[in-house]
Amino acid sequence: MRKVVKDRWPGMLLFLIGIEAYVLLSAALYPTVKNMKGLNQIIKKTPESVFKLFGMSKDFTSFNNYMVGRLLGLTWVIVVAVFVIAFARAMVAGEREEGTLELLLAQPIERWNVLTTEGLVLLAGIIGLVLATVLGTMAFGAAFGAHITFGGYFAFIPAASALFVAIAGYSIFFSAILKDARLVAMAAGGLTLVFYMLHFAGAYSSVADKIDWFGIFHYYDALKVLDSGSVPIKSVLVLLAFGAVGFSAALLAFRHKDVN
Amino acid sequence: MPDSVVLTEKLTKHYGDIVGIDGLDMEVVRGEVFGFLGPNGAGKTTTMRLLMGLLFPTSGVARVLDLDCWKDSVALKREIGYLPGEPTLYPRLNGEEHIRFVAGFNGGSAEGGMRLASRLELDTNRRARDCSRGMKQKLSLVLALMKSPPLLIMDEPTTALDPLTRRVVYDVLAERQESGATILFSSHNLSEVERICDRVGIIRDGSLVATERIDELGGKKLHNVEVTFSGPPPADFASLPGVSGVKAETGDRLVLSYRGDVNELVRYLGRFEISDLAIAHASLEDVFLEYYGSGDDASEAVGEGEGGEAS
Repeated sequence: MRKVVKDRWPGMLLFLIGIEAYVLLSAALYPTVKNMKGLNQIIKKTPESVFKLFGMSKDFTSFNNYMVGRLLGLTWVIVVAVFVIAFARAMVAGEREEGTLELLLAQPIERWNVLTTEGLVLLAGIIGLVLATVLGTMAFGAAFGAHITFGGYFAFIPAASALFVAIAGYSIFFSAILKDARLVAMAAGGLTLVFYMLHFAGAYSSVADKIDWFGIFHYYDALKVLDSGSVPIKSVLVLLAFGAVGFSAALLAFRHKDVN
Repeated sequence: MPDSVVLTEKLTKHYGDIVGIDGLDMEVVRGEVFGFLGPNGAGKTTTMRLLMGLLFPTSGVARVLDLDCWKDSVALKREIGYLPGEPTLYPRLNGEEHIRFVAGFNGGSAEGGMRLASRLELDTNRRARDCSRGMKQKLSLVLALMKSPPLLIMDEPTTALDPLTRRVVYDVLAERQESGATILFSSHNLSEVERICDRVGIIRDGSLVATERIDELGGKKLHNVEVTFSGPPPADFASLPGVSGVKAETGDRLVLSYRGDVNELVRYLGRFEISDLAIAHASLEDVFLEYYGSGDDASEAVGEGEGGEAS
């Protein structure tokens, strides 16, 4: 565990600093955006469906809606998803490519233990990034005079973490079955994009909306969670199940995977 | 009946259409140093990785210390010191951190590893990414040898080492053998194999084609013969039974391998006027070349003595 943390913390720290900087920038711009009359007029003329695509409402004076549009709806999701995929890529496929998996598995340790340990560090990383985002948003938002819905932000922690656990599940699976680390990143990134496109299309097409039920972004509605202040238990459970299935499949695949 | 430490039966590993090893039957007995010879791609590393449970076989059986290599993989790894063919180290960790990392898995202290590192004159404060190939090899050796296991599996242990360090490694291996350890190792350096091994196995195209005891090589009746005739050499000499190949022919002089009763050869040569004759027991290299001919495979696999690895 210590080795995994030591090996991965520089990457985690970079993501953390980047996210905090972006949160600070976004929060700092909020008072300006809130008072931009011209922008608000444009927003009023823009169809509701456009905002729906990004999980937002038209009310840009709301700090929650502003943060979802600027950060939590898409940009931040992409950044953390990149972190998750990069971490998962390094877990099995990356270690195999560097040869270090041979050193690790030459020690008396079960393969499931290797994967679980790395998975737990990734989980800690996900929760750490989500927590940093939430705490940063609340602190910087309050500093720039925004109204903070504390309950909403605390409810956002499990809701957002579950989304990235789902992404981690299939990313780790790809890492366990694919030999080429670049392919892992492409497969996991590609699937995440497919899920997002499906969610995007679901806003326009009722058929796509039904298919979207099988994707992950259907179960992530940042604005709803921030405004309501309640944890969407069902969505969180579905996303965690997504992650659990991916991770279990990875365990099974890795059990009999050649290390060469 | 010898006490088997490594035993494989019809062990086969295919990588798709490529044959890694094919029906390998091999036995390494307790307390011996067994050298595994063959050119790159012959199946040495595949066999070692199978024994370590890193690869899964297409078919066949492999048991180490009477444990199944895959079902009992974790228990087995407590009993094996393994050196991979390429140093596999974490770039950000330094030598001491690697030693403590491996000691953590085996419940042992890192002190033995640090002592061994000092004996190999390894700077344990340097990160792996800043180490030369030779330093990485030293650190990998330390990680394999630090826990004094009953079996050592070492894939080309002296690659990239300077002659002085190589001697230290030979001494350490000899000490381990004296204390009862069994050692299975591969090498391209035949003089090294001849020096430290009790037995050698020659692997070709994934199958063990010969197993020889080093101390019985002289009794294999394989001889290197160098004969200089006073006149032109006899035309039918190459077809004499036992002559396995004329290696050199310059004027009146022939250099060849001969397998069989040396009296027969001397009687045959007695029919001619010869000005010089030298008959010597074949070396391990000659035995090896007999199996591999003198083609690219052989030149790739055979070292030129100390420091003469070809790969």
